[in-house]
Amino acid sequence: MKQIDIKTGSYKSIKQSRKIADIASMIMVVIMAAAVMLPIWWILRSALMTNAELYKYPPDFLPPKWRFYNFVETLEYFRFWLYLKNTMTIIVPSVIGGTITATICGYAFGRLEFKGKKFIFSLCVGSMLLPNMVTLVPLYIMWSRVFGWADTYWPLILPHFTGGGAFSIFLIRQFIKTIPRELDEAAKIDGAGYMRILWSILVPSIRSAMIVVALLLFISLWNDMLQQLVYINTPDKFTIAIGLNLFRGALKADWSKLMAATCMSFTPGLVFYLIGQRYFIEGIVMTGLKS
Amino acid sequence: MNKTVRKKPRYSLMARKESITAYLCLIPAFIGLTFITYLPLAGVFGIGFFNWKGLSAPVFIGFRNYIRLFTTDPYFIDSIKVTVYFAVLAVFGSMIYSFYIAMLLNREIPARGFWRAVFYLPYILPAAAVYIGWSWLYESNFGLFNYFLSELGINKIKFLSDSLYVVPSLALIAVWTSGNLIVIFLAGLQNVSRVYYEAALIDGANAFQRFFRITVPCMTPIIFYNLLMSLITNMQVVVPALALTDGGPGNASMFMTYLMYRYAFKNNHLGYACAISFVFFVIIAIFTAILFATSKTWIFYEGDSK
Repeated sequence: MKQIDIKTGSYKSIKQSRKIADIASMIMVVIMAAAVMLPIWWILRSALMTNAELYKYPPDFLPPKWRFYNFVETLEYFRFWLYLKNTMTIIVPSVIGGTITATICGYAFGRLEFKGKKFIFSLCVGSMLLPNMVTLVPLYIMWSRVFGWADTYWPLILPHFTGGGAFSIFLIRQFIKTIPRELDEAAKIDGAGYMRILWSILVPSIRSAMIVVALLLFISLWNDMLQQLVYINTPDKFTIAIGLNLFRGALKADWSKLMAATCMSFTPGLVFYLIGQRYFIEGIVMTGLKS
Repeated sequence: MNKTVRKKPRYSLMARKESITAYLCLIPAFIGLTFITYLPLAGVFGIGFFNWKGLSAPVFIGFRNYIRLFTTDPYFIDSIKVTVYFAVLAVFGSMIYSFYIAMLLNREIPARGFWRAVFYLPYILPAAAVYIGWSWLYESNFGLFNYFLSELGINKIKFLSDSLYVVPSLALIAVWTSGNLIVIFLAGLQNVSRVYYEAALIDGANAFQRFFRITVPCMTPIIFYNLLMSLITNMQVVVPALALTDGGPGNASMFMTYLMYRYAFKNNHLGYACAISFVFFVIIAIFTAILFATSKTWIFYEGDSK
């Protein structure tokens, strides 16, 4: 009986201390979230102010006047719409091609039996650990000298048509393995071919994994700057990343316009994020737990 | 289970059809592995032995590129130090930061999904814009951080143009964008069985003991994954040098990838740049190998998982 007494007694105090810890955590979360958001707010607020206002001391945390017109003015110098169009010209086909080829390759690894499967798969996994910066120069030589595709988008798009990177293939494979085999066995008995099984049975069940692959490809392309800088020379073909860099070099100390341009560069990603938030987060979770 | 049932006679028509389908499906992967991954890797190794300046024909010079790198190159040794310095700061900073935030979010707090989205947000902003945006916060006279410092009565710091501060300042930005690690950690924490904690509570374990004896051991597989990915990402750092510092001040932010970029695409020293790439590859391979080799001693797998 004594034991139970101790248990119930301490249980109450444990509950109480847990509550206190929850509240303390909540306070820390709010503080940390504010700290994380502060840079974004600072960039946005600077985009809404004139340079004279920016150089005031002490600085205002809220713009004295919300000058949205600054964005319109910035657009006269910063060719945002052109850069956005160019960026999308790279991203859209890459993401689509990468997702489709990743699904097909992931299907082969996840479902089909063939000679050399283990070996080929280990080559695939090994390439995941290879930093892609290492092969930049030979790839550049290949695309520009062998194919003559310097200053085109092909070198930025085509590599994604090879399964969207080993990581995407791996993710799809892991996911296909969780789908019960009975489903495609049944379809096979009904006379469905392999591609038919993939298309009408597996694809509907792994749709969320495919969206995740697409979003991860989107993020990696969205974050890229070096490859675009290496392959694209003509200003008319510039993407957001290198266009923004060019803009920065051109106006040096006009922080108000530079921050407006920076804000604009944030927006497409933010819009995608708000639409597909669930998948973004699910996708990251998947990458961590499936491997 | 299913596998044993599925075994078929080796050379049946079905099996042949199946493997032909598989090879057809894998054509994109074959092309990718050959032409995007392994041949270029061999290419890096091979071209590193040549003197190849852009338009002229390559000349075989043996190990001379490597000898020059380690003896007379004014940037190379610094670039290794700077890259490793940055990677260590960024990796440990973001691991600690994201683990801490994930621990906070794992408690019973209202609107957890919202807060998780907030911390994740920096990860989806384009890197070039992030660094340019932060450069205004770091600005030497009117930047936000210098305002905070002056409020505290500390002298202004030239965050990005002082060789002492430039790498830590850039590493802080990398930490800020590590929201993906938070999400992975959080998912891992939610998988740690409650039973352990309750047992520990009844045995009277305090918060520190619970953290180091239960949370950390259960999380080691995820810590390993995040450590590996974060290391590979941060060793490849290049955007801050491209967008902001051009490797300066001095050589203080001359990251290896940026140096390779400069030699290859500004000076047209393709062979020399490949030699840098290869050394870079070896360094990352060593780090990865160390991580994998030591992993067996510190990763704890629960009996029931794979």
